[in-house]
Amino acid sequence: MTLEQTHAMAVDDRARPPANPLIAWLRTRAAWILLLDIALIAVFSALSRNHVFWSIANAQSLLLSVSQILLLALGLAMMLGAGIFDLSLGANLVLSSVVGALVMRSFQTKPGDPTSYPNPAIAIVAGLLACAAVGALYGLVNGLIIAIGNINSLITTLATLGIGTGVALLLTGGTDLAGLPVDLQTDLGLNTVLGIPIPAIVAIVIAVVLWVVVRFMRYGLRTQAIGSSRMSAERSGVRVRTHLISLTVLGGGLAGLAGFIDLARFGSTAIAGHSNDALAAVTAAVIGGTLLEGGRISIPGTIWGALLAVIVQSGLVISGVSSLWQLIVVGAVLLIAVLLDRVAAIRRTRASRT
Amino acid sequence: MAISEAVIGAVHVSKRFGHVQALRDATVLVPAGKVVALVGDNGAGKSTLMKTLLGLNQPDAGEIIIGGEAVRLNSVRDAQARGVDAVHQDLALAPELSVVDNMFLGHEIAVGPGFLRRRLMAEQAVDALERLGIRLPSLTVPVRELSGGQRQAVAVARAVMWSRTAILMDEPTAALGARQSEIISQLMRTVASHGLGVLVVSHDLPRILRAADTVTVLWRGETVLESPAADLTVPDLVATMVGYRGEAAS
Repeated sequence: MTLEQTHAMAVDDRARPPANPLIAWLRTRAAWILLLDIALIAVFSALSRNHVFWSIANAQSLLLSVSQILLLALGLAMMLGAGIFDLSLGANLVLSSVVGALVMRSFQTKPGDPTSYPNPAIAIVAGLLACAAVGALYGLVNGLIIAIGNINSLITTLATLGIGTGVALLLTGGTDLAGLPVDLQTDLGLNTVLGIPIPAIVAIVIAVVLWVVVRFMRYGLRTQAIGSSRMSAERSGVRVRTHLISLTVLGGGLAGLAGFIDLARFGSTAIAGHSNDALAAVTAAVIGGTLLEGGRISIPGTIWGALLAVIVQSGLVISGVSSLWQLIVVGAVLLIAVLLDRVAAIRRTRASRT
Repeated sequence: MAISEAVIGAVHVSKRFGHVQALRDATVLVPAGKVVALVGDNGAGKSTLMKTLLGLNQPDAGEIIIGGEAVRLNSVRDAQARGVDAVHQDLALAPELSVVDNMFLGHEIAVGPGFLRRRLMAEQAVDALERLGIRLPSLTVPVRELSGGQRQAVAVARAVMWSRTAILMDEPTAALGARQSEIISQLMRTVASHGLGVLVVSHDLPRILRAADTVTVLWRGETVLESPAADLTVPDLVATMVGYRGEAAS
């Protein structure tokens, strides 16, 4: 065979049917999870007493709950895309919120009095910056150990999970910090714009930005390249270590922001309230189609996945099922998602062998 | 040949990993427009030499030559900046990424804060593949859905696309059948005819003797033979590779 004979159009697409965008979308995991979300909302609305699940108040409460899980899950999805598994996001959230609360309280004139802030706006902004900075710093520490020390990310973040939780408990003596500016809750945490809670708006804006990054930008392409094959990325000239560190700083910063939202929602820290965040964040990211092995990130899938975790929790409560069942259900949903990934992977290997 | 004529090469390079002396006195020079085969038994240091030429590791002694000059390569990016690219033995493709994304990884065309110009990238990828006569089912499918030969073709096309001075190929036909191997062999000639230097590591001796202009034999990290391919037979070559027979390094 000569080169002339093989020389023809580089893309031989005769065997491919014309792509219908709707059908292509329906083949994605994100589409299935969104449809599942809608189905569950219908079921819980029908099951709940007086159909209270189907109400604006409940929708707002769902959105408020989803905003924190979503911020953690988005950061995790980005890191998973490059092959980093971060178990420490929940501890990061708690530590960031504790430091943020301490910073805000340093502007207080009467200790413990939420109305004794001469300038609440400055205290709140300082608290926000402190939360984001502590979160990003936490991520930086993780990233340096993982990328420079070449330590497995699971082990690294398991260790920093313990350390971060310990430091948060030391700083607070184990009791939650209250006495934060009243405006923090009224103006931010419990405020809405056009009926949508402000924390949810923040989370959605960040989700859209990350979707653009993953889908259309060099950063997203390189993130998934590293997760797909770190060696290939290195040999293509990608600065893999710097990139990994930037990802853990991003994920940590988002966890810090989630910590600030904690303060804004509850008006205090919630040290004990985040032990299951890691489970929820992993569930959200993985059921949405982000590959646990790295190489593929689905931001829409992460959004619908976070919503699913929250709908299941809230729906079970409203339907009168014991709250103990929530953990079991969320864990089971995660297992099912991972098993589905496994089946798809086995099918792919079989297909590529033939 | 003179060092100043080499587009890529190594002169008296040595490299030690712990107590393993991977390269002792390796010399290979590739002129523009020529295909040079680097052969040797397992453990002779071929892959180490290729990696050194790409900046993946740094020589303990000796010199790396690019464009006729001694250079120091601290990373793959340094080699890329001088127009040297490679087809790795494991292809170094990211299986989850599309053909286009793989071909442009590390060389993405982007505007502003990093917005990819995927349409332009796809057009250039199609051009590069067409020039080499490579046909693929689609440029947007993940690379893992391609056959072994198609993946190999993508890796070759990517390296050709980004190399301006020389292209290194480590076992480019190892995973391929006879027909595809022949196509890759022809690709090497095509690439060389465009004025690039081609350095290829291969165990397929009959084929490489036909495709290469000159052959350099490594034996235990040392160059023991450099000869025009036309003067060699496969049995000669095997004897030199396994036993250090005959001519010393020039």
